[in-house]
Amino acid sequence: MSEKKNNKVKGITRRDFLKGLGSGAIGSAILTGGGLIPAESKAELLGPGAEKIHGTQKIELLINGKKERLTVEPRTTLLTAIRDKLHLTGTKEVCDRGQCGACTVLIDEKPMLACMMLAVDVRGKAITTVEGLSGSGKLTPVQEAFVEKDALMCGFCTPGFVMAATALLKKNPDPSLEEIKQGLAGNLCRCGTYPKVFEAVKAAAAKMRKGVAHE
Amino acid sequence: MKNIDAALHTRGESQYVSDLPKPAGLLYAAVFASPVAHGEIVNIDLKKARQHSGVIAIFTARDIPGENQIGPLIPDEPLLADSMVHYIGQPVAIVVAVSPEAARKAVKSIQMEVKELEVIVDPRAAFQKGEIIGSPRTFELGDVDSTWDVCDVIVEGKCEVGGQEHVYLETQAVRAIPTEAGTMTLYSSTQSPHAVQRTVAKILGIPSHRITVDVKRLGGGFGGKEDQATPWACLAALAAWHLQKPVELVLNRHEDILMTGKRHPYSSDFKIGLKKDGTILAYEVRHYQNAGASADLSPAILERTLFHSTNAYFIPNARIFAVSCRTNLPPFTAFRGFGGPQGMFVMECAIAKAAEVLNIPREEIQRKNLLKEGDEFPYGQKAEAARAEVTWDKAVKTYDLSAIKQRIDKFNQTHFEVKKGYALMPICFGISFTATHLNQGSALVHVYTDGSVSITTGGVEMGQGFSTKVVELAVKTLGISPERIRVESTNTTRIANMSPSAASATTDLCGGATIRAIEQILSRLKRFTAEQLSLEKPDEITIQNEQVLYQGKPTGWDWKELIQRAYMARVSLSAHDFWAPPGIYFDRTTEKGHPFNYHVYGTAIIEVTLDCLRGIYQIDSVHLVHDLGRPVNKLVDIGQIEGGLAQGLGWMTVEDLQFDEKGRLLSNALASYKLPEVYFTPEKIDITLLEKADNPRGPYGSKAVGEPPLMYGIGVYFALRYAMRAFAPDKDFPFQAPLTPERVLINLYGDTKSSSISVKPQSEEKEVQPVSGK
Repeated sequence: MSEKKNNKVKGITRRDFLKGLGSGAIGSAILTGGGLIPAESKAELLGPGAEKIHGTQKIELLINGKKERLTVEPRTTLLTAIRDKLHLTGTKEVCDRGQCGACTVLIDEKPMLACMMLAVDVRGKAITTVEGLSGSGKLTPVQEAFVEKDALMCGFCTPGFVMAATALLKKNPDPSLEEIKQGLAGNLCRCGTYPKVFEAVKAAAAKMRKGVAHE
Repeated sequence: MKNIDAALHTRGESQYVSDLPKPAGLLYAAVFASPVAHGEIVNIDLKKARQHSGVIAIFTARDIPGENQIGPLIPDEPLLADSMVHYIGQPVAIVVAVSPEAARKAVKSIQMEVKELEVIVDPRAAFQKGEIIGSPRTFELGDVDSTWDVCDVIVEGKCEVGGQEHVYLETQAVRAIPTEAGTMTLYSSTQSPHAVQRTVAKILGIPSHRITVDVKRLGGGFGGKEDQATPWACLAALAAWHLQKPVELVLNRHEDILMTGKRHPYSSDFKIGLKKDGTILAYEVRHYQNAGASADLSPAILERTLFHSTNAYFIPNARIFAVSCRTNLPPFTAFRGFGGPQGMFVMECAIAKAAEVLNIPREEIQRKNLLKEGDEFPYGQKAEAARAEVTWDKAVKTYDLSAIKQRIDKFNQTHFEVKKGYALMPICFGISFTATHLNQGSALVHVYTDGSVSITTGGVEMGQGFSTKVVELAVKTLGISPERIRVESTNTTRIANMSPSAASATTDLCGGATIRAIEQILSRLKRFTAEQLSLEKPDEITIQNEQVLYQGKPTGWDWKELIQRAYMARVSLSAHDFWAPPGIYFDRTTEKGHPFNYHVYGTAIIEVTLDCLRGIYQIDSVHLVHDLGRPVNKLVDIGQIEGGLAQGLGWMTVEDLQFDEKGRLLSNALASYKLPEVYFTPEKIDITLLEKADNPRGPYGSKAVGEPPLMYGIGVYFALRYAMRAFAPDKDFPFQAPLTPERVLINLYGDTKSSSISVKPQSEEKEVQPVSGK
């Protein structure tokens, strides 16, 4: 790639680039441009309100209820931002390709893979990492159930499973086994704790429903 | 007791190497690895890579101050390739930069010119060319050659069994921190801290006492970090040594899969001779182990294949031949089971084939030939406290085998595209390192003046629950609350020369040493108490629930008071101790001895449903009866059984490790290498523990648990074979694992004439008939 062409692509956010690919007219412009976007299409592609990011940038993320200021490059993933910039190491890097679920975080309460998202794309959203689930030394019902059912071994996949299970139970407080599997289908455990994870999620659901009933 | 790390794990607070706080000036390393499988290095051009921004230094073999050699058993493996490369992924250079991204970017612009040489990927081809590691070995019992004549039926065949990628979720990781006066501390994700210490010292050309290796826990190991954590630690240490700056080396998943060894693929030939009633009279097997490019632990793994080639059966005349073959693939290494599973798989194939030829159920042959008390293994040891028959019979009764069979046969009669299958899988696995000298464990115990206890052992926590078991053993021995006990990181300064945490033996060895160290302190405390309280018999002092009792009655002292008084009276509150189980030996000249402290037994019944149009299948249930002795911690042990089972099932079915003829790994990511996931899990898993199964050779009567359950997974292969045969009864399927859905379809609809399986019932050649789908 020549320096000149390189510069042309630089001012586009990844998301807008992907968005652009979705629309027919621009998609063809990109293809006829030999895989690169012609300069004249750029303004059209970006549309109103689009933002250009060059080099590093200071951004603010809302993580675990706290505003965190950090410096990132456009390519910095949310996972890198969380682990390396904010030193929240509970979120694990296992595959870095969206194939294992170990980096699951909640974004506006939805389970998302931090390795597949750019830090600049989640500005303004509520991000919860495993560190943000419970106060220091305390356990949520999901965490308690994982402990009780021994739904863990080496622990490396555990935060990801806890996050996915938390998101599932928020959406569906009484999931069937099939729904539990669906909710956890993106998470891998090499130690083979799946049967106990299913039990833990069931137990957590029961515990949480009981808790709600008491209130 | 719950896993002591459980709450930390769920909160994400457990620290692994890359979670440790970063020291100031931390640099990051990335590895440049050979892109070709075999060749002579003509030139390595580092110029462009050096110019990348952020690059601090690049090191090659020339920069190694000590010996460029990391082979653990045979010195055939350089840390960094110097003149030759032998596999794709072999480390050639290491780039150090201010960030991992900068280091990886620079790695991409290193150019290496290689004169390519012939690539061998097949173990039999390697054997033909004399490319073998060590010497071939043969175990022999009875007289095989003269027995064939008296057999009613003789069956021969060939087996291919694939490798297995570890996919420990935490990739290989290390941080090397140079400290004063030419010393260094390494935080390494290794099952073998001493191997790291020893090898780093060798690479740097300094004594071992200048290297400290510290391991808190591993995000999974499964054998993949027994020996193969060492090269990465050495590379980080080399960089840290030259730069005098802390250096971190964490492989990403792609690098890890590409550069590290896996479970060994094997290619084997078998010949089995039986009486008409299913009694096995003779068995001969030849195993060609695909060792990869260097020895690594292959000779030791080959040895365990030899030991376990007759699984849980007594075969009076057996000849087991095994040879380790050098190919141009990454050095294959330890993986849970350590060569045992491959040997057992071939034995089960031989039985399956014999059952098909004799037209009797496979389990009839299995049951008839199970080990009995006093039966001799081909390596000379006799079965003691043999529990093959008792676990088998209990499984058959508890889970009602005849009902399972009826249900399956009824289903198969009424379904045409979907078939069910079942299989029984007995296991017998020897506990001990087969290298006798490794059967030693150490522990260091301190009691502090506030009554809290610190335990360091030579064992590494990698998810197997070892630390939890140590606490459990300590509580049992000391009589105090578990909250007072802390299990420390494994550290080469606190414990010297530890064996790897492997061979399922860590609790036996290091747990045994912990009990002994605590007993030392207890005996001092009892003597002291007897003196102070004028009690005649120190042996009758006990501690229960933190209270000091004499002849079962309170003395008025509790644990805290006892410790404070003992400290003031200058009683030593620390102890180091050691445990080496007696009676283990093996003579490699005669290939006979008593290599195992004891054996673990069990039997599983596995049921599957196979969609014969699509090739996909579901594991319906796994019912098993397992011998844990008197378990130290049932919760942890059942987790180990379920986890081992999942890995064994995966190895036999969906985990398909593929290399092409150029030695390139095709299944090089989690997208192309399938792991057992939530939907793979058997619908039902029932585990019954054998009762009244005391084991005088394990701590508090327990038995090791880590590896044996993996081998239950082998049964799924034969359950699927049963279902395939129900669909295509006249077809002869090759023995090739894993049995992926694709391979099921090839078996059902392909032309199996091309397979190299040969079946020779005596004086009768069986025709193999291709069968088209129904």
